[in-house]
Amino acid sequence: MVRRAGGPASRILYRVIELLHLTKRYGDTLAVDDLSFKVEPGHVTGFLGPNGAGKSTTMRLILGLDAPTSGRALVNGRRYASLTKPMREVGALLDAGAVHGGRSAYHHLLCLALTNDIGPARVAEVLELVGLSGVARKRVGGFSLGMKQRLGIASALLGDPGVLMFDEPVNGLDPDGVRWIRGLMRSLAAEGRTVLLSSHLMSEMALTAECIVIVGRGKLVAEATVAELTARYPSLEEAYLALTAESVQYGAAR
Amino acid sequence: MKAILSSEWLKFRSVRSTYHAIGTAALMVLLGVVWTFYVSTLADQRGTLRAAAPEEGFLPLLQLSLAVLGVLTITSEYTTGMIRTSLVTVPKRGALLLAKAEIVGLFTLVTATSILLLTYTTSRLIANDRRLGFNETTLADDLPMLLATALSVTALALVGLGLGAAIRSTAGAVVSVVALLFVLPGVANYLPPPWNTRVASLFLPNLVPQIADQRLSSRLGDGFLPPWAALAVLLTYPLVTLVIGYNALKRRDA
Repeated sequence: MVRRAGGPASRILYRVIELLHLTKRYGDTLAVDDLSFKVEPGHVTGFLGPNGAGKSTTMRLILGLDAPTSGRALVNGRRYASLTKPMREVGALLDAGAVHGGRSAYHHLLCLALTNDIGPARVAEVLELVGLSGVARKRVGGFSLGMKQRLGIASALLGDPGVLMFDEPVNGLDPDGVRWIRGLMRSLAAEGRTVLLSSHLMSEMALTAECIVIVGRGKLVAEATVAELTARYPSLEEAYLALTAESVQYGAAR
Repeated sequence: MKAILSSEWLKFRSVRSTYHAIGTAALMVLLGVVWTFYVSTLADQRGTLRAAAPEEGFLPLLQLSLAVLGVLTITSEYTTGMIRTSLVTVPKRGALLLAKAEIVGLFTLVTATSILLLTYTTSRLIANDRRLGFNETTLADDLPMLLATALSVTALALVGLGLGAAIRSTAGAVVSVVALLFVLPGVANYLPPPWNTRVASLFLPNLVPQIADQRLSSRLGDGFLPPWAALAVLLTYPLVTLVIGYNALKRRDA
């Protein structure tokens, strides 16, 4: 684990996402079922599972968008909703489409930044970082999915947070963008941040993540390092398919 | 709170729909000018006449466009998904709604007052010393009515915001506002007396003349409430709807 020079040690110790028996029920459906795991700093943690396994719901629970039926989700030891400047502790990209299409990229980011006392200089900085400086004044509605993903990543990075969560950030990105995300995730983790990344691209995940958490039907299926999984199975993809075979809900007939 | 306010103010200013709503509201001035010119030429031919005051006749335009503005402040976030991004940056949902209410309330009060005064003065200037019926009282006489009207438009925009937070759909909230403003008072008119006056006295459009201590209509008579009580009822409308909206925002998953 790489520690950032100069930062207080306590802050680094607390860069964790912790789920304690997290459960979320929507009517008759158990979306998340007694889920407990911990995401630690210093490496990218891959969050895998079939469609409908509860990955996105888990992230929404962590961010306080949905209220858990029981159990707790803690970020840096606290409930997300109790953080006073949440963007400075946690950055998240859940849904790149969750933006008002009529606003320019710059204004969109500035609207978010202002809530956490982040200034326009940082907005320009993250726009540069994700490569959207050239279209900063353009309306977001005209952006491609890949550009919206970059905008979402920019918003997650605004507060320079120690904990980051990305739900399928690679969707819609060109090969160049995919490689850029891979590098970005790894460097964010190398700086001592906690990075939770969900994706369905196993080859990509094998290159990016060190630890893997697999969920199926809302339950924890496996928690291991990529090295452990690839030692037991021919590849990460084979490991994933074998481990989730029982919990695929929406599979085509084989 | 100041940080959230500055963000909400930027959100408000950085989308086109705001300017469309203000433009539609400001049409009232233009229509008032056209109307006054029209009735002035009639008066030149026939002598005196009794025409409706433009700030009363075209009031629904102001009411509806600013109510829609209040509704859109929150429902545009629901339809685009922006609400989830907003709640991640501001997890304190009450603070978010309060900031929106402050922006909508202040902005609508200033806009409605300006547009009403502008409609009033331009029409009186054009009418000059013709006797058109509506221009035979002084500004001092009419000011209470104008200010009460501006206040009722502000209350209505806040009702729109509260209903928008509760219903989450633009169409649903706008229909509810229209029902509250036009449909229900219309129904109350046809209740058997004295219940028509008693019930109608409580509806938004009828509160304005009661605050200004004037007659409601020939059918309804003087109204039921003294000015202070009418003002209290007027303020209760946004208060109650905002509390309902806050409860929905607080309890439901985003």
